[in-house]
Parts: sequence; structure tokens; C-alpha cells
Amino acid sequence: MGSEDEGEEEEDASDDGQVDEFPEIDTRSDTEDEDYVEDGEDESEESEDEEEEDEEDSSEEGSDEDMHIFPKAKTVISDITGQPKRVYPEIEPDYDSDSSTEDTPNRVGDVPMHWYDDLPHVGYDINGKKVLRPARGDELDNFLKTVEDPEAWTSAFDKNLQMDKPLSPEELDIIRRLQQGENPDANYDPYEPTVEWFTGKGKEEIMPLSAAPEPKRRWVPSKWEKQKVMKIVRAIRQGRILPNKPKTASTQPQYYAIWNDEPSNAPAPLPAPKPRLPGNAESYNPPEEYVPTQEEREKWETTDPEDRERDFLPQKYSALRLVPAYDQFIKERFSRQLDLYLAPRVQRVKLQIDPESLIPKLPSPSSLKPFPVYRSLQVPHEGRRVRAVSVSPDGGWVITGDEGGVVRLWEVIVGKEVKRWTFKSKVGAVEWCPRMDVSFFAVAIEDHIHFLIPPNLPAPILTATQHVLSPANLPPAPAVPSPVKWVSVPAAQSSSDAPVLTLNLPSSPEPPKQLVWHRKGDYLASVSEGQAGVWMHQVSRRHSQAPFKKIKGAVQLVLFHPSKPYFFVATQRYVRMYNLAEQKLLKTLTPGIRWISSMDVHPSGDHLIVGGYDRKLCWFDLELSDKPYKILRYHSRALRSVHFHPTYPLFASSSDDGSIQVFHARVYNDLMTNPLIVPLKILRGHEVKDGLGVFAVRWVPRQPWLVSTGADGQASVWCS
Amino acid sequence: MGRLKQKGKAGAAKAYMTRSAAVKKLQCSLADFRRLCILKGIFPREPRNRKKANKGSSAPTNFYYTKDIAYLAHEPVLRKLREHKAFAKKLARALGRGEWSSAKSLEENKPVYRLDHIIKERYPTFVDAVRDIDDALCMIFLFATLPSDSKISPSLIENCARLAAEWQLYVMHTHALRKVFLSIKGVYYQAEVFDQTVTWLVPYQFTQTIPADVDVRVMLTFLELYQTLLGFVFFKLYTDAGLVYPPPIDTKKDEGAAGVGAFSLQEAKDARSAANTKSKVVEVDGKRISSKDVRQTIKSITASSMDGPDVQMPSVDGAQVNDDDEEFVEDTMEDNADDDTPSAPAFTTAPLPTLKTLSTLPQSTSSKLFAPYTFWLSRETSRPIFEFIVRSFGGRIGWPATSGSGSPFDESDESITHVIIDRPVVQKSNETEAERERRRRRKYVQPQWVVDSVNAGKILLEDLYAQGKTLPPHLSPFGERADAYDPTAGLVGREDDEEMEDEEMVAEGEDEEVEGSADEELPVKAALKAAAAAEDAAALRAAELEAEAAGVDFGTFEKETKKAQKKARKADAPKEDEAEQDMNKMMMSNKQRKLYERMKYGEKKRAAERQQLEQKKWEIEKEKKRRGKSS
Repeated sequence: MGSEDEGEEEEDASDDGQVDEFPEIDTRSDTEDEDYVEDGEDESEESEDEEEEDEEDSSEEGSDEDMHIFPKAKTVISDITGQPKRVYPEIEPDYDSDSSTEDTPNRVGDVPMHWYDDLPHVGYDINGKKVLRPARGDELDNFLKTVEDPEAWTSAFDKNLQMDKPLSPEELDIIRRLQQGENPDANYDPYEPTVEWFTGKGKEEIMPLSAAPEPKRRWVPSKWEKQKVMKIVRAIRQGRILPNKPKTASTQPQYYAIWNDEPSNAPAPLPAPKPRLPGNAESYNPPEEYVPTQEEREKWETTDPEDRERDFLPQKYSALRLVPAYDQFIKERFSRQLDLYLAPRVQRVKLQIDPESLIPKLPSPSSLKPFPVYRSLQVPHEGRRVRAVSVSPDGGWVITGDEGGVVRLWEVIVGKEVKRWTFKSKVGAVEWCPRMDVSFFAVAIEDHIHFLIPPNLPAPILTATQHVLSPANLPPAPAVPSPVKWVSVPAAQSSSDAPVLTLNLPSSPEPPKQLVWHRKGDYLASVSEGQAGVWMHQVSRRHSQAPFKKIKGAVQLVLFHPSKPYFFVATQRYVRMYNLAEQKLLKTLTPGIRWISSMDVHPSGDHLIVGGYDRKLCWFDLELSDKPYKILRYHSRALRSVHFHPTYPLFASSSDDGSIQVFHARVYNDLMTNPLIVPLKILRGHEVKDGLGVFAVRWVPRQPWLVSTGADGQASVWCS
Repeated sequence: MGRLKQKGKAGAAKAYMTRSAAVKKLQCSLADFRRLCILKGIFPREPRNRKKANKGSSAPTNFYYTKDIAYLAHEPVLRKLREHKAFAKKLARALGRGEWSSAKSLEENKPVYRLDHIIKERYPTFVDAVRDIDDALCMIFLFATLPSDSKISPSLIENCARLAAEWQLYVMHTHALRKVFLSIKGVYYQAEVFDQTVTWLVPYQFTQTIPADVDVRVMLTFLELYQTLLGFVFFKLYTDAGLVYPPPIDTKKDEGAAGVGAFSLQEAKDARSAANTKSKVVEVDGKRISSKDVRQTIKSITASSMDGPDVQMPSVDGAQVNDDDEEFVEDTMEDNADDDTPSAPAFTTAPLPTLKTLSTLPQSTSSKLFAPYTFWLSRETSRPIFEFIVRSFGGRIGWPATSGSGSPFDESDESITHVIIDRPVVQKSNETEAERERRRRRKYVQPQWVVDSVNAGKILLEDLYAQGKTLPPHLSPFGERADAYDPTAGLVGREDDEEMEDEEMVAEGEDEEVEGSADEELPVKAALKAAAAAEDAAALRAAELEAEAAGVDFGTFEKETKKAQKKARKADAPKEDEAEQDMNKMMMSNKQRKLYERMKYGEKKRAAERQQLEQKKWEIEKEKKRRGKSS
């Protein structure tokens, strides 16, 4: 770099009168040094410049000397030697001065200060003397100092000196600048004008930097570029490229025969359903009957738009010119579009059938006679609920037990009460022994089962009965003693007034709710509340046993199979079928009823009906499945009792809605034909009392008659 | 052991996707997703079990088929939408920096998506497309009359108006219009195109305002699709009919509010004749024979054998239809397509009459219902409606200059047979002789006559619809449900009811007379009741005796008894039947019972509606009768 250039630059800079120094560039500072060294000679030349600079700098810098990096030395006579010596002025620490020249008494350098934690001093000064640790007061002193000293908040802990030192105004200014996100250097001017050091007029670099000859490419046009350009030019000439063609100018879509080529064999998407075509009501001049009346109009206006049958009100105009614009037009189009893209579409098969054809075709009830049709007689029970009823196996007699503890014996045909027995508490169940050669029945009261003999029996039957119930020589006591005690009156003393035989069951709060005889009349099953509620009593051996040690769920009902050694146990939800001979579980039927109330088995033994408190009646084909073959729900309240007729193809169910439903139930021998169930008749006549209706229904053997007892204190006989 | 089944990996959980999941998968905004759904015709589906489809949640969401969304992911339109998003950013940046030239070049190279492939995909065959243009036409006709604003550009409305006019021109040209219904919402038209019934609704000519709760963006997206669809459909329709598409528009006429008259139908011959001759001319025995000659020969043979009348299309007024038949035949693009157009009977392939053609035959005879007549529109009747209807049925129509330019004749034309007028009659005193003469010769009918004639398929008597007369009710030509109320049927069931009612009224009068002796009244009623209830002779006898004791003579007793018994029997018989049916109902399965109850509910509702209308009509008739009597 030539000195001439430098001079010119200097002049330029000074001419501008804005540039004072350029400390960043090292070379420049070198030249400056030279300048300053030559100061004495150049003084005259550059005095003007210097002055100008001084004027500007005076505010920041003290004097011209500051500009010199090596200050002038003074020559003084040494006190000691008497020789003159050069003494340099004290170096004032400046922005660009070395920080090591700062006057810090502790000269240990940048070492971790905790090395001196245990020592009384904190380091050494320049002379190698210990710098003692300044006295540090306790926290209270420190605090008081911060309170008393107004400059405490502008002081910081000096690690080197181990004491607080007030920050100088310059430092505070730096902190302020940092806080405000400014440049920490106060002298920095971010808006300096650019200085054209090397460019501009007269500053061109004339001298070549290298002696290499100029390459050819500087002046010969490129062949490859030419080829590229020519390619484009040719394309433009041939019309392959249209220059300045607006690419989106053809906004008008071009139509062509889009359906001319073969359609893809993918199935077409389903077309959207078309809206319904307008009817007469939408006409501008409908028949008068379509015009809404005032109240219809009001009704239409008050209903929500979503709930309206029609989205418009029919109106009648006498002439077409009077028809106004339809104000909902756009809204309707919009809702149609919402339907098109927002509504889920479901494809449904449209049924074109007569609803009546859905009703199953069943034989007419009149062709399935006989079945009970009307109530032939009523036996009042003084208004007490009659829960228990049983019909004698010959079909002539009925016993009923009411909640007052009265057991009545009456004739089916005339309803005449022949005898009554009065017990202390309510009757849980009564059941007539199915044997024809003897005649007696069992009554469940409290913890007892009483065996009673009806009066006026023919002598042979009476003796046979007495022999069965209280034999002269008792059978031998069983090996395992049973908790059930059999107490009988001797045959001689037996009468129809008092129970001949009494079974004392283990105590339970409620009387046994069900008694069931085996078809041979020797076994009697009883169901009481509680875990071990099922007992099986054998009359001939005078022995009782509990068939189940433990059973899952509360037992509701039990039932003997009419022909096989099977035993049905109904808990709340399931019906289990056990083989008594092999002592194992055969099947568990799931009727899907929440609480089973009643159950009966078909005389053939292959079908079972189960009634529930949740109004359902399930028909099970025991050969077929564990699931019901048919579930019927026709009563409006809980089912209370179901019963198959022993000989006729009939069954009946009674319910809390006070009605009795009689069905024809034909069962076929071949397995292919489903049982035929035909509803025959709804017998109404019992009153509903306290939400309770008909408790029990029993068929009269050998006759298509029905005996029913209800909560209204009536026992009725229904005849065909 | 088979693979363990994991939850949510198969079945409904995979087959369905919620909307938010779909948007996330496609990585587009909800607005873009909506646009795609509209354009592609993708709609939500209802899964059998919402919980299974939504990971056990029963929150209310819309479900889409996962496959639908997967197809959407490859949609070119989606790519373009993404490009557009980038473009919008670039443009915004350029505008923000004030780089106008780069903004301009960006705008010029803006990504634009095309919907051709979507049209082809949604409507693989032309018939599919024709079947689905109902909604498109409704929208086009609506937007053709809307005022433009910041959201709806004038060019859009212009395009809609053009499409609407093109459709009307085509329908008029092919006489495809079948039914018209003037409703309070607008005018319903039904046309038959390619054996598809196309129904569209045109609002009356009033300015519509878009309600605030209507999202215009949705409508515009639909409109975008519909415009493209209709463009392609019309192209095919026009080219199949041998016409140039788009039909050239006469801007001068259009500015004069000529409506559809501004367009002119042009036979497409220039464009394709060159190509045709090039491809179809063959040399036979050194003689050049073009396909045109072949067709002409075939045509002449069939025409002579059928000895048919000239079934050629009549020329449409205002449109330059080339009447040259051979050229018309030549220019149809495909012969098989030609068969399908109901108005262009193809002689080239004389087909056996199929069931379809036979069923459409009678309709085509009435498609030129107004051919012998010439109509004049009065100033107050809507020109677009009646011009379209009359010209579709072959009539000539003229209108005053106030209804727009382009009327083929003026009011003084002698050929005018009907004047469609919607004004009350006003006696003019200063009528000239010629005017009176003209008035006498012409028939003045109200607009409804035109529509009712069209729907009836024959020219109705003009007297009922004469100017100033009370019009007969205008009924829907589309028909109602089979068991709905029929206003044209007389009150058949009501006749004997009426008699009964009269009788009852008389009886009531009698009762009132008798009421004076209240003590007598009671035993008489009781006796009658007993007689009605009596089942056997003995009981009847007892009742008779009782009645005698009460002081009723035998004649009246007998009569009353019979009446009462009849009533009782009537009431009993269905009751028993019903009870039996009710009992049989309990043997229905749950599903059947629910279905049955639903059907019964609907039936009952309709019956009640019908009965209500009948009752109203009966009351109105009675009122009229009474008024007639009193006056």
C-alpha cells in the first residue's frame, strides 16, 4: 500500500469532516504510528486536520496525547542516582488498554479464591506482601450497611478483594446498556456513514495484482451460452415457447368429449338421493282444503323449523302475478347441499309390504277349542291374598291357602267349601299328593310342612292314606340323622281336623314358598328362603335330606321331571337341570330373565316354560338348546305363575296386570317340527290390588278348566 | 395358536375415520377438506356401531371411510390446494415487500386445479351424469339471477346465466320438457333427457338476498363443480344433437335482454366435415362414396318402407337451426347416442320397438302440443318462463318490447291465436274496430292454462282459464303417494255419511221432542239397549215386553231394535277379529313388532292427514252449498 494513497484517503476523510479514527484496522494504526512519529515534520501540513479532530474529541478525550500509544517521556533527574532518567506518565486505563495494568492490590491472578478460604489473607500484592482479608461483619452488619450506605445497591462483591466495591459510573452505564439491549460500548455509533475506502472516483486500483495475461474468456463470448440461448430462440421461433404468455389466462375451462372413451369398470359411486317432488300443497293455487286454518298456521309457526312436517305454509294466490319471491329459496338450496356433503348416507331397503303380513298366521282360536273362556264361579277368601292353590289329582277338589293362615277345601264344580283349617300364620304353599290310591295334601306353614287328609274319604282310601302317613311300624331311622323331624299322630287318633304328619324344618323367617311332589307321590321337595333351602322328603322312609350342600344363587323354584330322574332348580337367573340318579349337573339354561318367578315342565318332559318378573316368558326346547326357543312378552306386568295342562295341549300364565293368558301349545313328536304356540284367550276378572294381580293358576286335570287365585282375595274357576 | 387379535386393528376401528383424523392425515385445513369432500362427493358414513368405530368413545363425530380418505390423499386437487397455499404465502410476501412485478408474475402462474378427472370419476358414464344434474341445474338457475357482490363475481354469474340459457336452448331444441309446476317456491320443470327425468326448480324473477346464516363458500364450491359438470354434459348433449358447443352468443341481442334468444344454435358441420370426409370416404369400384351417401341411401330405404310422416325436428325460432336433414344425420357423433335422444328418431338403425320406446311414444306426440298456435305474452307475465314452455312444446311466441328485445313478431300479427294475460278484465271504451276484431279472434287465457295444458298433455278448454275468471286449482303433475289425499276425487265416502248425518240430525230433533217426557226416555233407551244386547229369542221377548211396558209401539221398537243390532254386530265383528290379531301380535319377534308398529304409525298418520283434508273439503263444499242456497 503506497503512502500516496494513504495521504489521499486522509484528505478525503478530513474533507468530510466526519471521520476521526479508524482503529479497527491494524495496518492503519501502524501507519498512524508512523504519522505520529513524523509528527514534528508534518505538523504544518496536518495541523488543520488535527485541530478539527481535537474539536470533536475534546468532549471525550482529555488531550491530543491520548492519541499516542506510547506517551512522551519526561526526563527528570533521579533522586537516587542524580542521573537524568526518563519517566513515563502514569498509564490511564482506557478502553483498549490492557486490563492487567489495573490497579488491583491483590495480584494472585485468576485463581480460585477458595484456596485462601482458610487463610487470614486473600492473596499478595505486587510487592509480594500479603493482602489481608478485609473484615467482614455478620449478616446484620451487612444489612445495616446496605440500608445506611446509599451506594450499596450500586456496589458488587469483588471476588478478588473479598469485599464489596462500588461500581464506577462507566460500569453502571454498561449495565444499563446491557439491560436495555444496547451496545455496551457508549462510544459505538451504529449509524456511522459508510466510508468508501477503496472505491469511488480516483480510488480505482490501477496496478495489476498479478502479471498473468488476461484469460480469453474475458473477451470471447461463450460458446455454450450461445448454444443455450439459441435453443430458446429456436423454440420461440418454432412457437414451442410463447414468451410472456400468462399461464392462467385460460381460466375458461375447455370442454371435450369426456365420456367418449370406455368407462372404467369400477362401480359408479351411488348417486345422491333426489329430493322429494313437490305435492299439491306447494302449488301457487292449491285446492282450498290445503290452505291452513288460523290454528294450523299458528301451530306451524310455533313449532321449531326442524320439527315441522313441511318447510312451507301452503298459500293460495288468485293469479300468478301475485306470487311473491320465496324467501327461503337460498336457505333451502344450502341445506340441500349440506345434506349432500355432511349427512351420513345409509342405504336402506324400502319395504313394500303390507304391515298385516308381518303378523304371523296362526290357526284361529275357535278351531282349537276347548279352552277356558268364562268364569264359572268365584270363591271369596275374605279379602285375603290367596297365594297357594292346588287341585286334587282326580280334578274334583281344590285347596287354597291364604295369607291369614286359612286353608280351604272346596269343590271345583260348585265352589262349595267343605272344610277349612285355620293355622297361626300365612300359608306358603299347598300341594296335593299326585297318588290316586291315597288322598292327602301338604301345607307349608312357618317351619312346618303339615300333611292333611281331606274329610269324607271312602274307607279304603282313608286307611291307605293313614297307612302311608302314619304307618303302624315306623321304618328304620336313617343312618345319618337329619335335622328335619318327622312327627306323626297315630293312625287311630288321626282325623281330618289336624295334621296327621308334620315335618319340622330348620327355622327360617318365611314359610317354604314352594312344595313339589314327585309324580309317584313318594318324594316331596320344598324350597325355603336361605342357602340350604331345598329339602327333599321321602314319605315312605320318613326321611329328609338336602340334595345340595351349597348352591350358587338363591333358589327360587324346583321341579321334578315328569318321566326321568331329573330335577330342575331355578335360581334368580338360571335354570339348572340335574340328574338325581347320577348326581350331576346336566344343563344350565339361560332364559335371559332377570328374576325368575315361575316355571313348569311340559308333561312330555321335553319342554320347559319359565316366567319372570320382567314380563317375559321363555319356552325352552330341552333337546334343542340352552337358549330359549321363543321369548314372549305380552303381559304388561310381572308374570306370577305358569302351568301346563297335564293332558290338554294348553298352558296358562298369570300376571300382576290381573289377566290370565291361555295358550294352545302343541308339541310334535318329530324333532323337525317346531312346537306350535297359539294365544287363545285373555281371561280378565281378577282385580289388581296394591299392584298385585293373579298369584297362581292351576289346571283342573281331565278338564279344560282353570283355577286361579289372586291378590283380590278371590279364587276363580274358568270353564270352557 | 393363531395370532392374537388386538383391539382397534381390524374391523370398524380401521374401516372408519373421524373427520379430525382425516384432516390430520391429509395435512390440510378443514376448509380444504370440505372443498375436497364436496368436489369428490365424499360424505360421512354411519358405522353400525359408533363405539367400535371410535375407540370406545361415543362422542358425537362424523365418520368417513378410511379408504375414501386414502384415495383423497392421492388427489391431484389436494396437491394443487397445497401449491395454492404456498402461492398465497409467496404472494402475500411479495405484496408486503412491494415487489409488484414478482407479485404479478406469481399471480400469472397461479396454480389452478381442474375438475375433469373428478367428473369422469364420479360419473363414469354419461347417463350417470345426466341422472345427477338436478341439483346442478337448480344452483345454476339460482345463481344466474343473483346480484353480484364481493364474494360472487360478475363473471361467475355471467357463466351461470350462460349455462342456464344453454340448457334451456337444448331442452327447447329437443322438445324434452315434460311437466311444469308453478309452486310458491318457484317453477318446477321436468324434462326427459336420455331417458332420465331431470327436475329442476327455477325461482321467480325477483332479487334474492343471501341470508347471513348461509355459508357462501360452500355454495361456491358446489357451483364450481356444477359448472364443470354441466359444461361437459352440455358439450356431449350438443354434439350428440349435432350442434356446436358452446353456442355463439350475440352480444348485441344479449344486451337488449333477449335472454335465450341471444344464443344461436349452430349445426356443427364446418369443424368436422373436413375430418369426416378425410376418414370416411372410400373408393368402391373406382367411385368415391362417402359415409354421407351411404347414410342417405339407408335413410331413403327405411323412410320408404316405414312410410312415416316427417318426424324431423321443427326449427326453433330465433335460432338458426339448419333444416337439412341429411346433414343433421351426418353430423351426429355416434349413431347409438342418437338413438337415445328422444327427439331425434334415428332412421339409420331402425330398431325393433322396445318397451322403453313404446312407453315414451305417447309422450313425444304431446311434445309438440303448441305447434299449431301462436302466443302473445302480455306485459305482466314472466317472459322467461312462458317463452321456455311454449317454445319447448313447439309453439311460437312473441312479447312486447318491454319484456326484452328479440320478439319474432309484434302484437298486431294476425297469426296470434292466444294471448297469455294475467290482468283483470278492463273495459276499454276507445277501442278501434280493428282492435275489437282482433280481440274477438284471439283467445285471452291466464298463464295457468299453458301449464295445465302441458301437464294434461292436451289443449284444455280455454273458457275455464279466460281472463278475469277464478282459476281452477293448480295441481302437482308429479303426483303424490298412492294413499295420499286426492283432491280430484269426489267425496265418495262422504255421500252416505252425509245421509247418516242428516238422519242423525232428524233423530236428534226427535230426541229433543221426546225429551219433554224424561221419565219415558230412560226405560225406552234401556229397553233398546237390552234388545241390542239380547242374544237369544227369550231375551228379545223380555226386552220387547219391557218396551211395551214403557209405552213404545211395536213398529218403532222393531225398527230401533234392528238398527241397534246392526250397529252392535258391526262393532262386534271387527272387534273380535282385532282381538285375535292383537293376540297373534304377541307371537311376533321383537324386530318384526317394531317394524310393524312403525309402519302402522306412518299409515295412521297419513290416514289422519288425508281425513283432515277430506273433512276440510267437505266443510268447504257445505259452506259453498249453503251460500248458494241463501243467495
